[in-house]
Amino acid sequence: MNIPNVNHYIHAYKVAPWRIQRQWIGNALLAVVALAMVATVYLNITSRAAIAGREIQDLTYSIAVSQQVSGDLQTQLASLTSASAMENRARALGFRPIEPDEVEYLVVPGYSAPQPYILSSAPQLQLRALTISPEFNQSLLDWLDEKISTSRGAR
Amino acid sequence: MRQQYARRTQVLVGVMGFIALAIIVQMTRIQNSAEADVFRQQAANYAYELRTFFPNRGEIYDRNGRLLAGNRTVYEIGVDLNTVKDPHAIAYAVSTELGMDYNQIIDVIQNPPEGLSYIVIADFIEAQQALNLQELKKVLQEQAPQGSLGGLTGLQFKSHPQRSYPEDALASNIIGFVNREGRGYYGIEEKYDTLLAGNPVQVLVPTDPNKAFEIPRVPDGTTLILTINRDLQAAAEQILDESLLEYGAQGGTIVVMDPRNGELLANAATRRMDLNQFWNYGAIYDNASEFNPAISKPYEPGSVTKIFTMAAALDSGSVTPGTTYLDTGSILVGGAVIQNWNQEPWGVQDMTGCLQHSLNVCMATISTKMGAGTFYNYMDNFGFGHLTGVDMAGEAAGRLKIPGDEDWYPVDLGTNSFGQGLTATPLQIMMAASSIVNHGRTVIPHALYAMVRDGRQYNVPAQFAGTPISAQTADTLSGMLTVSLETEGSLALVPGYRVAGKTGTAQIPVNGFYDNTKTNASFIGWGPVDDPQFMIYVWLERPSISIWGSETAAPVFGKMAEKTVILLDIPPDLIRQKLVAK
Repeated sequence: MNIPNVNHYIHAYKVAPWRIQRQWIGNALLAVVALAMVATVYLNITSRAAIAGREIQDLTYSIAVSQQVSGDLQTQLASLTSASAMENRARALGFRPIEPDEVEYLVVPGYSAPQPYILSSAPQLQLRALTISPEFNQSLLDWLDEKISTSRGAR
Repeated sequence: MRQQYARRTQVLVGVMGFIALAIIVQMTRIQNSAEADVFRQQAANYAYELRTFFPNRGEIYDRNGRLLAGNRTVYEIGVDLNTVKDPHAIAYAVSTELGMDYNQIIDVIQNPPEGLSYIVIADFIEAQQALNLQELKKVLQEQAPQGSLGGLTGLQFKSHPQRSYPEDALASNIIGFVNREGRGYYGIEEKYDTLLAGNPVQVLVPTDPNKAFEIPRVPDGTTLILTINRDLQAAAEQILDESLLEYGAQGGTIVVMDPRNGELLANAATRRMDLNQFWNYGAIYDNASEFNPAISKPYEPGSVTKIFTMAAALDSGSVTPGTTYLDTGSILVGGAVIQNWNQEPWGVQDMTGCLQHSLNVCMATISTKMGAGTFYNYMDNFGFGHLTGVDMAGEAAGRLKIPGDEDWYPVDLGTNSFGQGLTATPLQIMMAASSIVNHGRTVIPHALYAMVRDGRQYNVPAQFAGTPISAQTADTLSGMLTVSLETEGSLALVPGYRVAGKTGTAQIPVNGFYDNTKTNASFIGWGPVDDPQFMIYVWLERPSISIWGSETAAPVFGKMAEKTVILLDIPPDLIRQKLVAK
């Protein structure tokens, strides 16, 4: 068996039509699989974004309802502890207003007179939707649309 | 054989390619057809929905964090005409629960205005009543046969906030009220209406969940913290009510202010209304100035004005505390005779005696000595005739006639010196008197301590309006007023505390003439004198037990001051001075 014959066979194998066809089919399948994967990821992300969006809508509504309930309860509590209600309760419990000559002032070390109410809490850092990078809230179509619009604008 | 396969493959590829091409062509054709625009428009119509948001109106608190004005949920009850199943059931249920007319409801449902698909049957319904109807709707739905609708289908409930005042009538003259359209009237509610806001807003909301972050955030109104002390306010109202009975007065006002920074601590008025029932306004008040007389009802204050005449005379160098004069009981000013309150001569008096005995002749003497230019210049600088700038709606400026005005006469120089012929509100007088406490500087009274928005609190600083007198004059006058009260043995004195002050008894003009039997009794005072922490103004209208301020308004001041030092934790002078010395 001489060397030229071996090379001839190898060349024939490489250029065999069925082998080229398989290569084409393989490449085509690879492209289809890649596309399918992109589509799957896209569908998955889109559906999750839609679910998250719907949850945001629901939570926004819940927040509004909770704020209303909170306001209601706060007002009810204020009514129950109003000046007249507290005075009535105190009288019912046997208390009476103190007379000026009954007051005794004691020096309490470290005591400081009551200061006006501070209502605000320290402002909390809030994650704002608009500060999130577009990669996390932009759909593929949105991205394509933006690119097309940008390229049109550039022209 | 191989060629046959190749041809079949080519045909298959061709057919598949043709189908794919046809699909693409058809997709392109559909996308660009005339119908596509219609569908796109329909999609656009559903992309956003117009929604009404009801942001909460900002709350109002007192200085210690007690809620004075909040919000509670009420319901709008309406009918969706497209889904109504049984109008009679709805009319019956609603009329029974809400006490409305059955025929009226059925008429509205069966004969709605043209073009409407939703009609409101009732609004501002209590949560419990709405809940009862919702429960009934649910029960009827459960009892309905499988697949059919309940009798109250179409009945809808929309919740929204309504202003609520947990303290009812307490401090009503300061707070004001909000009507059902969400507009503030009087007091803080009107003055800060825009800040408190909370009015319904209609905005477009995206229905696409991917655009959830575009849901607009409608902010609630700004929350306000007032300088008012609720407990002191309640005490002031109680003392005022008791005083009206005790002295037979027709009306009155008590104002408590921190003279160092202008913070109003209490402001009681005779007529008060339950702010939750604002529709009773017309039955309670005859005119707008009665809502809060302390800021909106100018009157001739009488002798309390002598403080400012004396301040002007001391500051201009016209007199000193030791300056004496011979009181003959009358003086002629501008062709008119001015007499003392008892129409008697008081002999030789110094300036402290003038204040102690509240001598009109003395004041007319020193005002004419100063001259109209100097006197009115000082009165103008004290703020008479000007708004104080207090942050409550409905303030009136009062009237100070000056030379050159059509209705000013030379006699006014005399009468104005003891508080007749000019008008001022209690708050104007307090603002003017704050200059004596603050070493010559007048402070602008205010009721807002702080506002809270987006979690941040902005405190309102004290504002000073000017310096009408020097610090030396202020301190001298404060001492004179203290001594004159103590020497007189005034009913305004507070055991354990040194206070300074002045009574006022002003005749009330009736049909152009002063009526000797009808007076306004007033008292302004502050304490403790060496470290003033409160200033109190008392005004009793037409007291019938006694016409004199010294016998009516002064003891009311005393009572109020006693309560104030307890509620503000101000120790007696001796203890406080020991504490300071440590």
